[in-house]
Amino acid sequence: METPREITVLQAAIILISTIIGVGVLALPRIAVLSGDTGAPLVTLLGILLAFFGLVMITLLGMRFPNQSLIRYSEVILGKPMARFGSIVIIAFFAVLTALASREFGEVVITSVLRRTPLEITVIVMLLLAAITTRNDITTFAYIHHFYSPIILAPVILIVILSLKNAEVIRLLPIWGNEPNGMFIGVLTVAALFQGFFILTMIIPSMRRPDRAMTASIWGMTIAGGLYLIIVIASLAVFGAEEVKLLLWPTLELAKTTSLPANILERLDAAFLAVWVTAVFTTLFSSYFLMIHATTELFQLRNHRMFSLFFLPFVFIIAMVPDNVLQMYELIEIVGRFGLLITVVYPTILWVVALIRKKRGKNHATRTNR
Amino acid sequence: MQLARIVKVLCWVLLVIPLLTGCWDRLEIEERAVVLAIAIDEANPEAAEEENDVSHLRGEVPRSQKRMLRLTAQIAVPGRIPLGPAQGGGGSGEKPVWILDVVGHTVEDAIYNLQQEVADRLFLGHLRVIVVNERVARKGLQNMNDALRRNPEVRRAAWMVISKGEASEVVKLNPELERVPALYLLAVLDGAVKQGKMPNAFLGAFWSALTSKGQEAYLPYVEISKKRSILLSGLAYFRGDKLVGTTTPLEIGHFMAMKGINPGGYSALSDVPGQPGAVLFVSSDRTAKIDVNIKNGLPQVKAKVHIEGDLAEKSNAQFDLKDPKTITNIEKAMGTKAGKAFEELIHKTQKQGSDILGIGEIVRGKHSAYWNKSIQTKGKWQETYKEIPVKVDVTISIRRVGMKAQ
Repeated sequence: METPREITVLQAAIILISTIIGVGVLALPRIAVLSGDTGAPLVTLLGILLAFFGLVMITLLGMRFPNQSLIRYSEVILGKPMARFGSIVIIAFFAVLTALASREFGEVVITSVLRRTPLEITVIVMLLLAAITTRNDITTFAYIHHFYSPIILAPVILIVILSLKNAEVIRLLPIWGNEPNGMFIGVLTVAALFQGFFILTMIIPSMRRPDRAMTASIWGMTIAGGLYLIIVIASLAVFGAEEVKLLLWPTLELAKTTSLPANILERLDAAFLAVWVTAVFTTLFSSYFLMIHATTELFQLRNHRMFSLFFLPFVFIIAMVPDNVLQMYELIEIVGRFGLLITVVYPTILWVVALIRKKRGKNHATRTNR
Repeated sequence: MQLARIVKVLCWVLLVIPLLTGCWDRLEIEERAVVLAIAIDEANPEAAEEENDVSHLRGEVPRSQKRMLRLTAQIAVPGRIPLGPAQGGGGSGEKPVWILDVVGHTVEDAIYNLQQEVADRLFLGHLRVIVVNERVARKGLQNMNDALRRNPEVRRAAWMVISKGEASEVVKLNPELERVPALYLLAVLDGAVKQGKMPNAFLGAFWSALTSKGQEAYLPYVEISKKRSILLSGLAYFRGDKLVGTTTPLEIGHFMAMKGINPGGYSALSDVPGQPGAVLFVSSDRTAKIDVNIKNGLPQVKAKVHIEGDLAEKSNAQFDLKDPKTITNIEKAMGTKAGKAFEELIHKTQKQGSDILGIGEIVRGKHSAYWNKSIQTKGKWQETYKEIPVKVDVTISIRRVGMKAQ
């Protein structure tokens, strides 16, 4: 069962970027500032490094087993029963992650834009969209990400640059933070926002040159992480640490405070939300895709399509579990931190065991005659 | 086969329905009551009788909210807001705004009371100016800020100003320059920022300063001058969320000079040493640096301010400016005087423990070890601020003297 090897390094990097940038952007500065005070950029940076470590593990494994995804090669490394259990946990985790992301999306939309539309509708529309789109194959998947990535990146950078008009450097000092309590927890929570990188394990088997996957990882993480970092820095410099703690979605407030020069647009939050919906879609799309492809591979089926709608009700029900927005964030943080066991620790274990047991995938012949 | 087709079509229809979700929040522009400005005044406790029971049962108000507020709102009348230059004569009889007032225990309470009176849904997305009576501000703005923060429609770029006297008068004022009163008020504030007459103290900046541990907030302070125009009469400075004092207009200039905010927009009339008469100096550019050193467990503040500007007027012809020494003398004399005046402003705020310059932020940022050890909280800094010695050095450069040679 050879998958078509169509995805280039650039596409892989783009998939990583647009998967990572998602719902998390809105709350990120608050999460970082709550744990690190003015040390928030530092917390973010450490979070990025932790996530990057997980990504490197995934990439190394992917390069070791260039023809398989994690679901398959974990069976080779750990043996079937253990690996299957691991895979089921992964699938369940990504189902919850998808659900919570769509719920967070719904909450933002209801609070700030469509105040009378029922929550269920905004959530189900987004999930349905993701579910239907995942019926495509991985090449189309890559193209969709490729297509949307400039729309996601450019406006965010623009907003950050324009917002710096109101920034004050003194608010970034001291870089260690005045009361760095629970910085460690903050690092974990921030790292958890990057968990979308796990999608790479599904992409590597379809890459034209799996041996260059590391390049894609480095670029993907640098750009996505860099973007997150400048968002935190900008929010902190514009609002100050104490103010960020009061804002549910500091990034959205940042867009609200920022205006285009010459009064073209007096507030950018509407424009930003439009972009952000796209970003959320690509994230949901990826995690949903990951979920159903992992299931397909777990059951060793050929066609993933049947699962795309099968998962929908489950994901939707999980999304409806939190009672209110505060409970939702608590849940997101807990689930996110727990998820690091799956997205960072599990691959590390796999890699170490693979090294010890000297397991290695069959090298696919680099195609020279195309 | 027929059935299969029907099912297929039905499925498609079901799939398309979610695409129409935007219609839930459809709202025609004429169905919105666009609030342009609100004013918040104190109301007598008896005004509670006037209130209808909209958001609480009669008499059952949380004990902490016994005080009454009067909220005056300026609502745009659809179709009467002039776009572009106003046409002479046509429609001048129609007022473009509708002014309503209601009472309430809190701001949100008052807004709900107002909604009860207005047919269309109130929309705060175009709220530009919030005028707060000085007396209300002296008792604290906590509740107001909370309500405005929670509302997703309110923009952070809106203005909040403190009024001397009734805030409702400011909103009701009908100025000649603009047809919409709220927009005139906005133009006054934006214009002042552009001309260097006021720091850009919009709502978002106010909130940030309010929460900062080492800084106190300030807002523009306005009054109605001779019942016809709005006078920017200083800055209202806060300790926590309570207004504790106001400055004179010139002191806004002092404040901005110490913060190094450009462009410079204030002028000063000054004696010429050794000569009869005076000159008027107009500042154009300010740079400032505030240094903080910790000595004997107390921050020592040294501010260096440099102001550049022009001579705009000389009061009589008995002396001339040809001699470069005269200019140097004027610069020196003005610098010393300005330094004293600046220190005076700081002392004034020190008495109230209101650090509007944000010296505490510098301590927190650059001397974090000291801050973490002996300050930590906003309250402690307010106390410490009263004690710290401050020294201001001002240097002035007169660069140009206008078109007249002497």
